[in-house]
Amino acid sequence: MNAIVWILWLTATMTFTLTTRNPLYIMIVLGGLFGLGNRLAKERNMTPWVLPNLRFLLTMILLSTLINGLFSHVGNTALFSIPQSWPLIGGDITLESLIYGVINGLVIGTLYILFNTINLALSTKQITRLIPHAFHPIAVVITIALTFFPSIQQRAREIKEAQMIRGNPMKKISDWIPIMIPLLVSSLENAILLAESMTARGFHKQTELQSPRALVSLILAAFMIFSGWILQMYRFPSLFFISLYILGTSLVTITLLTIGKQANVTRYHQETWTKTSMFSAALIGIYIAGFAFLALIGRLSTLGFSPYPRLHLPAIQTLGLIFSLIPLLPILVLHHD
Amino acid sequence: MINFNALSFQYPQSSHKVLDNVSFEIPPGTLTLVTGASGSGKSTLLRCINGLVPHFSGGTITGQIRVFGFDPIREGVEVLAKIVGFVFQEPEAQFVFDVVEDEIAFSLENLGVSRAEMDRRIAEVLRQLQLQKLRYKQINQISGGEQQKVAIAGALVTHPKVLILDEPTSQLDPTAADEVLRMILDLKSQLNLTVLIAEHRLERLLPYVDRMLNLTPEQTVTFGLPAEVLSTMEQVPPIIEIARKLGLSPLPLAPETFPNDSLDYIPLVSRQAQPTPIDKPETLLSVQQLSTNLGDKQILEKINLDIHKGEVLVLMGPNGAGKTTFLRSILQMIPSSGTIIYGKVHLENMSFPQIIQHIAYLPQNPNDLLFAESIIDELKITLENHNRDINQVNFRKFLDLFGLGDQGDRYPRDLSVGERQRTALAAITVHDPEIIFLDEPTRGLDYQAKKALSHLFHQWRQGGKSIVLVTHDVEFAAHLADRVAILEDGKLVFTGKPVTAFTTFPPYQTQTAKLFPGRGWIIPEDVVSNTA
Amino acid sequence: MIRYRLLGLLTDAFVFALGFFSLISPFILPQAMSLSSQTAAFPIMVSLIIMLCLLIMVFEAQSSLLDSKMIAFLAVLTAINAGLRFLENAIPGPGGFSPTFFLIILAGYFFGSRIGFLIGAMTLFVSGLITGGIGPWLPGQMITAGWVGQSAVLVSLLVKQLEWKDKPGEIILLAVFGALWGLFYGLIMNLWFWPFLGVGIGQTFTQTATALENFQRYLVYYLTTSLIWDTTRTIGNVLMITFMAKPVLKIFGRFQQRFSFFTQEDRVQP
Repeated sequence: MNAIVWILWLTATMTFTLTTRNPLYIMIVLGGLFGLGNRLAKERNMTPWVLPNLRFLLTMILLSTLINGLFSHVGNTALFSIPQSWPLIGGDITLESLIYGVINGLVIGTLYILFNTINLALSTKQITRLIPHAFHPIAVVITIALTFFPSIQQRAREIKEAQMIRGNPMKKISDWIPIMIPLLVSSLENAILLAESMTARGFHKQTELQSPRALVSLILAAFMIFSGWILQMYRFPSLFFISLYILGTSLVTITLLTIGKQANVTRYHQETWTKTSMFSAALIGIYIAGFAFLALIGRLSTLGFSPYPRLHLPAIQTLGLIFSLIPLLPILVLHHD
Repeated sequence: MINFNALSFQYPQSSHKVLDNVSFEIPPGTLTLVTGASGSGKSTLLRCINGLVPHFSGGTITGQIRVFGFDPIREGVEVLAKIVGFVFQEPEAQFVFDVVEDEIAFSLENLGVSRAEMDRRIAEVLRQLQLQKLRYKQINQISGGEQQKVAIAGALVTHPKVLILDEPTSQLDPTAADEVLRMILDLKSQLNLTVLIAEHRLERLLPYVDRMLNLTPEQTVTFGLPAEVLSTMEQVPPIIEIARKLGLSPLPLAPETFPNDSLDYIPLVSRQAQPTPIDKPETLLSVQQLSTNLGDKQILEKINLDIHKGEVLVLMGPNGAGKTTFLRSILQMIPSSGTIIYGKVHLENMSFPQIIQHIAYLPQNPNDLLFAESIIDELKITLENHNRDINQVNFRKFLDLFGLGDQGDRYPRDLSVGERQRTALAAITVHDPEIIFLDEPTRGLDYQAKKALSHLFHQWRQGGKSIVLVTHDVEFAAHLADRVAILEDGKLVFTGKPVTAFTTFPPYQTQTAKLFPGRGWIIPEDVVSNTA
Repeated sequence: MIRYRLLGLLTDAFVFALGFFSLISPFILPQAMSLSSQTAAFPIMVSLIIMLCLLIMVFEAQSSLLDSKMIAFLAVLTAINAGLRFLENAIPGPGGFSPTFFLIILAGYFFGSRIGFLIGAMTLFVSGLITGGIGPWLPGQMITAGWVGQSAVLVSLLVKQLEWKDKPGEIILLAVFGALWGLFYGLIMNLWFWPFLGVGIGQTFTQTATALENFQRYLVYYLTTSLIWDTTRTIGNVLMITFMAKPVLKIFGRFQQRFSFFTQEDRVQP
């Protein structure tokens, strides 16, 4: 899968995770993510991946359960109670509010693990290449910083040694000035040499990136999306905020594309579109469209779930189960490749 | 064709012109060697050709430059980048990307070349430079010589007409340097490039040079055929120095053309070149059965070596032989087995701060040592680190030894490479240690700086200090060594007289030794003193 | 020129307003929400808005990055700064101590708000890339660190006003500024992070809660989870600035000329 397909997959999985409150669906997603993450971690010869993530998930759930249990006293099944006189947390501790906290923790934990998986799946280079052409100078800054980064620790070590050779005892904070200063000076000197080498190889000014018109349209777009969000929260009709979202997003996209075209550079590395990649992209497209359509016409009633007022088992639907299998898609593709 | 017409240039905030009324014309497809001490304006002159001067440096420029019809002053670096490739001195400092092929692609990206075309050109340039194997390698994991080749590939991938190299081998060891230079010569004829190269290692290039351009710190510029320019120069490689002393004409540029039979009619006094031996060597530091492992790899194997009082011991050997490890093992900077006795004490039982009271160590990059606002501050800091009284030292007198007597208040980073190195040496020796270890001190130094360094060594030796010098620079070593040790694959394969070391082992033969096999001469002075 | 500067100021104001609103939205917005499914989407929406703000800020700021010198300078400083985060264990100091901030502050102080912003934001981005920390929390971290650098320009204005340049007062002001940000950064980061915990937002029980009650909950959360860390960070900032500011600023001064341009003015055409 190429980086763009991964981002599509991320969007699809995130949409599903954020839309549902059904703990069963979320747990299926989680299971899939753990399977995928484990596989990716093994491929990259990384140290155990599942265990720390599981630990993190459990901590999130615990924290969320605790906080919700202490602060929220809604629900019919009281387990025990804290005296009302205690500020903020006084009241009944209910089973429902604890379960609500668990679900919250599950959703948030899933989001984290989802992003952890993406961090595993995409190399730093792939992520850097996703930076649009409109931000070419920034992309170059990041590329250089990443190239330069590994040498810093090495340099710091060498300088520390050199200072010890001069008898620096390396005990107090002020003993670190002799390390910081040569590190900074030699790095900045390096920056000048590097800049010279870049210039000599035709790196040129990008005056077109200064366009104030583009800046204004970006601000406008941000404002549109922002107002859409506010309208959505105050329960305005969906026509309003959805059109604002679409308008804002298109404005951002068009602006960035237009400026990017003017940046007079090409990139050696581009994402390659194999048949599997194109197929996966199409599949995810269908997934997102289908999911949005079904959710909007109300055919996915089991997505929502609330333990209040009295705890009950969440209902499930075959369609919902199918949608929660989205993390498996990359596993299948990886298997196929 | 490259044409300079009455070109003058002055850096911003500078009180004098670096280039003053320079005119010359370089024919296409030739190799021009640019020489001159550091600070004479070599780099500036080279940077005029692609417009880095003045467009990158700033400053005031007058006169005219034409480079194959282009005008760098008017058109700027971006335009000139299409026909001029530029390679810099420091290999590791010029990379934007961390992978070889990406780095080579950089100039093509800036030109907006299409992806398919980039692929084709990168493959082509990798083939020309025989770097195919390195294509997907991380740049920080290849050797300095390979890095420099990648930089050359990055400069050539745009198909320039001119290739400029600013001291491309000064940071490399002799083997890597030779390889890079040979490659440049190959490429020049293969691609019919016009090449300008600033280089200290004249002996390698001289046979192939079409033109020479010599700059002096006094802003005089001599341009012409190599033999003409060489005859005006003060500092020349050993072969020219000998030929000049012998009065040969025309000057032989390569050992092959040196008229060896010319010596037949010169009366020779038979005497072996040999520095004065120390009568009764007094052992100062005794290394016994020293072995060092890094990971599972044995770097040093049971080394026995004594260091005598007041001697210059030169330690040579190929890359990776364990020379630096040897120095660091003695200083207990890395764990090792064996005994090291200094006077009557075992170094293993001393702490690092105690050890460096007696043994100073100059690591490969002396810049790492310096951070203070002035040279004198640097000295004071070392003394304070060692809890010495700073009022006991006459800084001016001490700095005189390093040729820095009147420069005590200068900012160390503003000094030339050679001065900076001597500042670093002053900073590690101001507390008067008995032994001084130096790791590759001549790297990147020009002739003047080397001379100043060797002067310093002589004075140290007279003062009874012992010097252990790790170096690849055989000519420099041959001038100084009292004793030579050769380390190969972690084992000491030779310890003995310099004359044996510099005449018998091919990698360490000096140019003089090569020219006069079997005579026991290692430096031009030997020849001269014997033929005078 | 003035128009550009005005546009820049307006951009800053807009971004700050949007960012500030998103920050405090957990306190004021719950009343608006009913769908419990909004809980998880809320922080994602917030980070999306922040990401847009970030795009705008970076787009505006990168106009000062037009030549290779500035780009290499920023890249190298970012790399050092990101590297310092990994040297944390090496530099002696209490837990939570982070040597990252002082360079961001000093760079913003010396080179102005745009460079300060970019160094702050880029440092967090690059270390996010290196540690695999890309996620919805990143835009919030980036923009806050960016603000740290950007706001340092206020200190330089103050120093100019008081004529404290190269006086001890300069360092003291910077140290105080570093201390403030040490505390403030934790406070803001927790605000970004808070909705991720699902605390106090969108839950059925908080619908009736007032902003004040929500704020009290936040305070409890803040005091218990991060005050200790913030305190050590504050101490760390003060120590680093006290010891390092002077030599580092001197170096910036030495390099300032070498990173700027003279050609246009100085060149004389024959």
